[in-house]
Amino acid sequence: MGGSDMGPGFVLWLFAVSLGASALGGMLGMAGGIFIVPILTAFGHIDIRTAIGASLVSVIACSCGSASPFLKGGLVNIRLAFVLETTTTLGALTGVLLAGVIPTAYLFMLFALILALSARQMLTRRGETAGAATTADTWGWAGALRLDGSYPDRGQRVAYRVQRLPLGMLLMYGAGLISALLGIGSGVLKIPAMDTALRLPIKVSSGTSNFMIGVTATASAGAYFLRGDIDPAVAGPVALGSVVGSLLGARILMAVSNERARLLFAVVLVALALRMALSGYSVSLGGPSE
Amino acid sequence: MSKATVKARQPELLLAGLLRYGTWLASGVTGLGLAMSLVGVEGDQVVAAGVALFIALPVLRVLVMLGAFLLNRDYRLVIVTTVVLMTILAGLVIGLSLSNSPAH
Repeated sequence: MGGSDMGPGFVLWLFAVSLGASALGGMLGMAGGIFIVPILTAFGHIDIRTAIGASLVSVIACSCGSASPFLKGGLVNIRLAFVLETTTTLGALTGVLLAGVIPTAYLFMLFALILALSARQMLTRRGETAGAATTADTWGWAGALRLDGSYPDRGQRVAYRVQRLPLGMLLMYGAGLISALLGIGSGVLKIPAMDTALRLPIKVSSGTSNFMIGVTATASAGAYFLRGDIDPAVAGPVALGSVVGSLLGARILMAVSNERARLLFAVVLVALALRMALSGYSVSLGGPSE
Repeated sequence: MSKATVKARQPELLLAGLLRYGTWLASGVTGLGLAMSLVGVEGDQVVAAGVALFIALPVLRVLVMLGAFLLNRDYRLVIVTTVVLMTILAGLVIGLSLSNSPAH
């Protein structure tokens, strides 16, 4: 994939689709990264590894671009974010090492699987699992590291406890691995880790997860960049479009009916999953990815 | 809100500003490079610099928090943050060492 032969029209196309993907993602409070790789490979005929590199930069850009309101709102548990990042970055490093040896067909198939799981997750309601916890976490790590916190909600501070930290950290390792392999934010693994294992309030979970993904993606994007696997001619327009899109998406969030948007997203995710599986199948037959 | 709480929130506000302006800077540099390419001036290196800035931003946030935890003598979190930083550095070293491998 040479960057020099790409015309202005292609640059604008990259910018526009990333803006759209990121705005759509932002409407549901998720990163648009999961849409970018399928769109770039299926419609832009871009090599999947180049698409993954560009998508990782977009994930970082969205995380950094949208972090400010979460931080100012006190919705990021920074201490917990760093503790979890020890395993997400380790997972990312594993992903970098695996990415070089995994056949391209498997990458398409894995992507299709993650898309299908995300579609299912989109249709299940995220129930509030946090509460005034009484059970202490068994290993006592959360206490030793002072990870419990509180967040502002309707003028009051609501205290919460971090539970089952080891399980959460293990799931986060998987999230980092998938993020590095597929160039996505891995919300599909982080949401169960945050909601079910750690039992964080949803607001804190969203803020902390958004804060973490930038550092996680940097662990793999930095390696890919130095290895020469990130093509700035693709990553540049994609990152810029994503920043603009995430700013727009956050504004539209209030306007659309949540249930309908979720259904629409699930349908789009399933369609992309089928498309990626098909591409993976044709790649495995030795044909072109188209 | 007690004085201690206000003080504890200082790194968050610093990070919020840093990430906001950092994103503007990286977007600006990337946009400039793309605009240069669109009008026919060689802008590939400028775009690459913008992309590198995006990738560097989260490293900066790790460094800021490392400083904040050190100032607060929160040594357990200093260790945690150092581990994260070392893992990112290990990734960079791996990236560099693989850059000339025959697979790529």
